[in-house]
Amino acid sequence: MLLGASAGSDLLRALIQGTPAGTVYALLALGLVLTYKTSGVFNLALGAQAYVSAALYFQARVTWGWGIVPSLLVSVFLLAPAIGWVLERFVFRHLRTASAVAKLVVTIGLAVALPALFDLVVGFQSIAGQTPVGIVPGGATVFYDPFGVYALSRNELTAVAVAALAMAGLAGLFRYTTVGLHMRAVVESPRMTELNGIRADRVSSFSWALSSFFAGLAGVLIAPRFNTLAAPDFFNLVVIAVAAAAIGMLVSLPRTLAGGLGLGLLIAVFQTFLPRWSDSWPWLNTVRQNITPAMPFVVLFAVLVFWPAIRRSRAASDPLAGVDPPPPALASLSRSRGLTVATRAFAVVFLTITGLTVFFRADASWTFVVTQAVILSLIFLSITVITGLAGEISLCQGTFAAVGAFASFQLVNHMGMSVLVAALVGAVIASAVGALLSLPVLRLGGIWLSIATLAFAYFFDSVMVKFSWVGGGQKALEEGTRLPRPTLGPFNMNDNRTFLVLSIVLLVVVAFAVVRIREGTIGQTLRALRGSELGAQSIGISPARARVTAFAISAFIAGLGGALLAIHQQNVNYSSNFSPFASLFWLVLVVSLGARTVEGAMQAGAAFGLFDAVLLKGAIFGWILRSPERIPSFFPLSPTWTYVLFGLGALQFARHPEGLVESGKRRSTEKVEQWWAARHQGVEPAEQAAEPAEPGVIS
Amino acid sequence: MTDVPLLRARGITKAFSGIMAVQHVDAVVAEGERVGLIGPNGAGKTTFFNCLLGVIPTDQGVVEIDGVDVSGLPVHHRSKRGIGRTFQRIELFAEATVREHLLIAERTRRADGRLWKDLIGRGRPTVDEIERCDRILELLGLVELAEQPSEHLSLGQGRLLEVGRALMTEPRLLLLDEPSSGLDHEETVDLARTLRDAQADRGFAVLLVEHDVEFVADFTDRCLVLDAGKLIAEGPTGQVLASDAVREAYLGTAGAAS
Repeated sequence: MLLGASAGSDLLRALIQGTPAGTVYALLALGLVLTYKTSGVFNLALGAQAYVSAALYFQARVTWGWGIVPSLLVSVFLLAPAIGWVLERFVFRHLRTASAVAKLVVTIGLAVALPALFDLVVGFQSIAGQTPVGIVPGGATVFYDPFGVYALSRNELTAVAVAALAMAGLAGLFRYTTVGLHMRAVVESPRMTELNGIRADRVSSFSWALSSFFAGLAGVLIAPRFNTLAAPDFFNLVVIAVAAAAIGMLVSLPRTLAGGLGLGLLIAVFQTFLPRWSDSWPWLNTVRQNITPAMPFVVLFAVLVFWPAIRRSRAASDPLAGVDPPPPALASLSRSRGLTVATRAFAVVFLTITGLTVFFRADASWTFVVTQAVILSLIFLSITVITGLAGEISLCQGTFAAVGAFASFQLVNHMGMSVLVAALVGAVIASAVGALLSLPVLRLGGIWLSIATLAFAYFFDSVMVKFSWVGGGQKALEEGTRLPRPTLGPFNMNDNRTFLVLSIVLLVVVAFAVVRIREGTIGQTLRALRGSELGAQSIGISPARARVTAFAISAFIAGLGGALLAIHQQNVNYSSNFSPFASLFWLVLVVSLGARTVEGAMQAGAAFGLFDAVLLKGAIFGWILRSPERIPSFFPLSPTWTYVLFGLGALQFARHPEGLVESGKRRSTEKVEQWWAARHQGVEPAEQAAEPAEPGVIS
Repeated sequence: MTDVPLLRARGITKAFSGIMAVQHVDAVVAEGERVGLIGPNGAGKTTFFNCLLGVIPTDQGVVEIDGVDVSGLPVHHRSKRGIGRTFQRIELFAEATVREHLLIAERTRRADGRLWKDLIGRGRPTVDEIERCDRILELLGLVELAEQPSEHLSLGQGRLLEVGRALMTEPRLLLLDEPSSGLDHEETVDLARTLRDAQADRGFAVLLVEHDVEFVADFTDRCLVLDAGKLIAEGPTGQVLASDAVREAYLGTAGAAS
């Protein structure tokens, strides 16, 4: 029997229960739509903005002992709009002509950097288990039960009331005020609006401040639902908001509202009724237990894949966009041969010296850290393939790596397969998953493809990992997802140095393969597609086939690296290595350093593995000054700085898609070449002229 | 040789939210023929063209290549069956040099790009491929620009490069989408001359969508005229351009009467 006699009252209870969350989702989703409509930015940092307000409110109330009103004023009415204004004024205003995908990457960078920056500046530390306080006295302790089925806390009622008020205010603003009218005009065409004497920039600033205010409000309202204030939970929220916004096609405010509310209700209804299914289908238990938190991601994925209209809504284009210069390509561009040769030579020398030093001088902990960096470089090559070559932003590389790691764990533990063979098979399985995933999402293109991969990452995180045939189930919870080190002929990899050598060998092999692919047919085909999809199709290139190949290759590399990382740590360590948030940070790291080149991936690997140990802990000064005691006293710095620096580094992505290191190198090469040309005047001016000065500029 | 034409379109119909852009248009292009498609602005030329290529789906009608119905096939499959094209707003591959454009097309035509070949280092262009590219570059007069990135080309050169890229796929029919748009008179004359030379050399059929009546008169043997989504005239180019119906469509009734 599916529904009991009390089904009606249960349904009512579920609906009441779901309303508070639903209204807050709607609030956040409206914030998302606001900035998308007025500036074309799909702001994944909105969760971070919500987090910052919620955390400041918490800090002010609990740590500083402020009252409700001043805390609220500072965190929601001052800080939140200020962040929105600053972001628009100093970041996104300058990116107006950048592609939607480039803007998306910038917001991901912000999503990583903002919470970390806030924690550092304010000195905020979330206290595990300490539930954030609401905005009314006695919020969590006073309950109301109007219908006699479910008691709403005062916090929840306040959330509904405040959110409803804010949304009514927004509706009024759009309908009855001049600035609302201007906002609607800017949505159509900022350029046209400017020609009519309205400062489109100011209107954008206003809508960013407003959007940020909504985010802050949503953050403070929803915070009491969490046990602990943590930034990833708020990123999770923004993914739910994306689902709501997708239901509203990113343009319709009423439909977004309905989407947010609907999701809240849907989740509550599932929570109420799903447990009753369990008896008839025991295998559904894992799904049943975990589908509820995964619901928004399932909805999001389904909306993206099965709702054809959303594909057509790809990019809202300004009718006057033609007056703007074309945006730089996502992953750029050709570089001079001299620079390539110099880079390779430097890399060989540098790596040899470092390698020898580490191999003969380093202690076990350093060897461990360096091996980690090498393996991460290998994983990051998967981003070089999918983002650097194919120009797609995939936000589930961590998931592919996890598939590889879990697959080898299962193969070794249940089938007694040799560890290295298992790693290869794991990579093949990851590759198949990548290809399968790419089939439905390919037609989406652009930001929707990225969002769909994000939804997949979250789905894997909240449902798939819980299956015993994936994550190992209860046994793995107790014993860990253990993987042994392999033995290869006479080499026992339990020795850290031997394993380091194996990792380096694999990295070099994969790096060579990536270079070959880049220069071969597949690389050329992907390059053509990135340059012009229409043009590529006109000569017979199948976009779907090329992209499926790219996804499969990328997932293979990620899977291999994931398996290797698990073998290195002798444990899969899913949540610390491969969570969806890790995927985001990986992407940010690689694109801010250089997504196009193999050495970009290696730099990112080195940064991920060594930044904290070498720079932030000050070890490098210890080496230079030849004594650990002389490390300046302000070391060690918080590892949080890594997130801040690289997150902010990703802001450059829209203007320097080739990455910061790469663009720096090119600039200095140009300078050297100019200096060389000046010294040898007239000797080789022809070659100088042939060198494109600023690539990507249409003459 | 049978009498099945290279390209046959029958009853192509396409409406955009209720407005009939193209209504029941038929067209036939035979092997090696040069056909023009003209009409005033908004006549449905580009829509018809896109329907032929599969860029947009048709509401009704059938497109056949060599008598085989290709109506449901995506763009790249039609290309593989021998239809090449150029674009009104040029669609070149950013970041690729002129020669690389042709090499990519050549590699796609051969369809022998395999992952394992890339991996063992056989993905680089062969001498034979480079030679074939250079023959086309010579034909189009682009040899000097071979190593230039496509961003450095002028619009006219970009159009030629598109023609070259299409020729690398060895098309039997080349669809040219308003090749003269954005070019001045002299550039148009140059382009027409080069196109004629290339066509004489390779013998492919051409369907030319064009605004510039002089270009059409000069280049094509036969001509179709679209007006308000309907085919209003068809026949040898000289006769068609002189006919009243065409003058009326272009200039209005007053123009035709004068």
